[in-house]
Amino acid sequence: MAEETEQHTTAIITKADFSFKKYAWEQFKKNKAAYYSYKLLVLLAVIAILSPILATDQPLYCKYKGVTMFPAFSFSNNCAVKDPKTGEIENIQYDIADWKKMDVESIVFAPVAYDPKKTDYDNIDYVSPGSKQGFTNKDGQTIPMPTRFRHWLGTGKSGEDVLSGLINGTRISFSIGILSMSIAGFLGLVLGAMAGYFGDKKLQTTRGSFWTFVIGLVFAYYYGFSVRAYSISDGAATSTAAMLQQLCISFFIFVIVAALFYWLGKAIGKIPFLHTLVYIPVDSIISRIIEILISMPLLILIISVAAIAKEKSLINIIIIIGLTGWTSIARFTRAEFLRVSNLEYIQAAKSMGFKEFRIVFKHALPNALAPALVAIAFGVASAILTESALSFLGIGVPPGTVTWGSLLNAGREQYSAWWLVIFPGLAIFITVTIYNLLGEGLRDALDPRLKK
Amino acid sequence: MLKYIFKRILIFIPTLIVITLLGFVISVNAPGDPVERMVSAAQSGGEVSTQSANLLEQKIFWRKKLGLDLPVFYVSLTSVSRPDTLYKIYDKSEKEALDRLIAMYGNWPQIQDYYHTTGTFYNALLAFAPDSNQLKTYDKSKISDVINQLRYQSLSLRSTYLDNVISSKFNTIGALLSSYPFFSKLQPQFESLKNNYTTVKTTTSGWKNYIPRLAFYRHNQYQQWLFGDGGKFSRGLLHGDFGTSYVTKQPISDVIWSKIGWTLFFSVLSIVFAYIVSIPIGVKAAAKKGSRFDKFSSLILFMLYSMPSFWLATLLLMTFANPDVFHWLPASGVKPATGYPDTIGFFGKVKLSLPYIILPAICYIYSSFAFLSRIMRVSMIETVGQDYIRTARAKGLPENKVIWKHAFRNSLLPIITVFANVFPAAIGGSVIIESIFTIPGMGSEAVFAIYNNNYPMIIAILTLTGFLTLVGYLFADLLYAIVDPRISYK
Repeated sequence: MAEETEQHTTAIITKADFSFKKYAWEQFKKNKAAYYSYKLLVLLAVIAILSPILATDQPLYCKYKGVTMFPAFSFSNNCAVKDPKTGEIENIQYDIADWKKMDVESIVFAPVAYDPKKTDYDNIDYVSPGSKQGFTNKDGQTIPMPTRFRHWLGTGKSGEDVLSGLINGTRISFSIGILSMSIAGFLGLVLGAMAGYFGDKKLQTTRGSFWTFVIGLVFAYYYGFSVRAYSISDGAATSTAAMLQQLCISFFIFVIVAALFYWLGKAIGKIPFLHTLVYIPVDSIISRIIEILISMPLLILIISVAAIAKEKSLINIIIIIGLTGWTSIARFTRAEFLRVSNLEYIQAAKSMGFKEFRIVFKHALPNALAPALVAIAFGVASAILTESALSFLGIGVPPGTVTWGSLLNAGREQYSAWWLVIFPGLAIFITVTIYNLLGEGLRDALDPRLKK
Repeated sequence: MLKYIFKRILIFIPTLIVITLLGFVISVNAPGDPVERMVSAAQSGGEVSTQSANLLEQKIFWRKKLGLDLPVFYVSLTSVSRPDTLYKIYDKSEKEALDRLIAMYGNWPQIQDYYHTTGTFYNALLAFAPDSNQLKTYDKSKISDVINQLRYQSLSLRSTYLDNVISSKFNTIGALLSSYPFFSKLQPQFESLKNNYTTVKTTTSGWKNYIPRLAFYRHNQYQQWLFGDGGKFSRGLLHGDFGTSYVTKQPISDVIWSKIGWTLFFSVLSIVFAYIVSIPIGVKAAAKKGSRFDKFSSLILFMLYSMPSFWLATLLLMTFANPDVFHWLPASGVKPATGYPDTIGFFGKVKLSLPYIILPAICYIYSSFAFLSRIMRVSMIETVGQDYIRTARAKGLPENKVIWKHAFRNSLLPIITVFANVFPAAIGGSVIIESIFTIPGMGSEAVFAIYNNNYPMIIAILTLTGFLTLVGYLFADLLYAIVDPRISYK
């Protein structure tokens, strides 16, 4: 019966050729600024993904003494080349070799043939984009820079190519924005949905199982993290990957122990006195957490947490921004769930006996997603801003990482090197603007109440 | 009304407690041993033997002063195998080594015995002096060299926990001891040390590590940090004492009180200015929605809104404080490098400081200004679309009166609620702007503290800014009540 009705309604919708997604997309396309920023975003994403082969000093293809190599694509870092005449074996290390001066048969360089960190000794000390740039050719003579190898956006203090730094910075700021907002989005959606759907008076459980679960959380924390504290810190001392692995194991143990106590609680909840029903004030708890988080000066909190991390890494920054940036997403989702959970179709789903979990995530969430999406778009913008501010101050990012913020910071040392200030700043500005425009466009397109 | 304020303040208390807790957790987990750094900064170098007396005393003093000789918090989740008294060990690396030994073997009594024997062995080495008769036959400098090596090895044994490292240290000590015959009287102590370690390894009770236990401490670092210890070393956060700076060893409250002025000055100035400018612009744009002014101002505001403050600051410095372009304004500081002249009055000081203030003030103002104008515009558009405005227009009231008398007050509500967002943003933004313009405020102090791992300072600033943010919220609530008479906080 239910299926039949569903099919029926779908038929009507297709007949009228009206779906909300399609409508929203049409609306979105009407907003020219948002639509073009969407296209620009796709372009930036392509640059970010392809940055390892767009800007690198390792050639894409190279034929040297009869041996064909693809250094930029290769996972290994060296190649043994045997000289056909003398029989000598030459070991070429891809990241050290000076490709531009090698006597090769044929070679194809990346569009920007420089590494963001490496020194170009011919063009040290801030060479501007327009001025004469030098180039030492294979014979050791200094000649004017060939157009193919020009530093189009100039160089930094020790001759680093700015354009290459910008392209590689795109990848970093993209991954920071998207990964941190994935964490924040997940947290915000789940917590906001729970707060809005359950409120204070909907989630019931027995007294016994509630307290067993709370005690179980302490045990889960103990076995997952306290006991394994040294494994985790030793992992952190070796590498980020090892730390993440140890953290995953700890989290796994945590979940298993918590689940065990959950089942135990179900049994305990049948004992008299402990079987009294109690409400869990989900909304109050989550709202209080949000209130506390938003009354924190986030930038100061983030830099203090970034400061105590033993090893500076981008993963830390992603996690910190993710863990602190979910409040607005949760607030929007919560408000939307408060509205949605009173609608008829949710009551219908309940009366059909669906499980709460299914109602929340399958029926209510898709309808409450729109405002969260808007908040996420703005969140990416602010995450990118936060990251570039941090690397501008030199806090949190590992030294030697080239990001937009660190390039801009390098420009502060020498104001006459205007290209070090203008271009990275412009990159940050444009990206942030794109996400903000996108957020506005999404808001206008997804919120039918704003429809004129 | 008073009742409402009281209630709000009551709600703030748990939030404040959480902020202090968070700050405290950060400082406790900070890497490195502050005492080690503070003492070694004062007295760099020195041999192992001289370290013992004077340096140890200093370390103990600072540890007491910073409250590091206390357990961390009221409650701690530990295991049955861990003793209640581990926190009393002064040296951070020794404490960690012991804790790791417990984590490996789980038999505290045996580990404790072993630890004590390392102590007695080290003390015996410190007190050890070969007879002058014996010394004649050997090279004096070589002997003292060996003794120093022995002292170093046995001391470092106390902060070692890996089995293979300990055994190799045992081997080294054994070899050193057998190098001269007169060391033989130390031999029994060394043997008992080795035996104790073997006992630790053979009588493991690792299962004890897997039984959790809650330990309660009445006197702890958090309590001392919050309430003080009766004025002996600290008066506590509640009495305005934030502790001691790790870098300068000054009281942190003194540093903060001398710096908070500029931060508050810039934040408040920028917010007042932003409100004054943004309200008319927002209203005008909304009143003539779709006009050229509206479109133009919207575009500019949007761009300003997305502009990173540190970029704008760098651009401004590059343009207006650059000898190569326009050297109109000074690049850093808030007053002339030589200070104010003595004879000058208040207005004279203002006049001298004004050129320094212009650029940072612009950076402080523009972002909140753009944010506020956009909100003002949207809320005005919403208000103008309502029925009572249509009625007012239908009555034939002039447009000016409709906007400013009927619509204005109602459209103010959203812009007031966001005061709670603007104020923390200004305080947070001070971190960047103050470090760029080297303004002696809290923001630049926070960055300086982070570069120097001065955790008490970071925590103090975090707590204080959290407190200021809460005050901002309260202020926004009160303003809201004043503007909208419908809201009665009962």
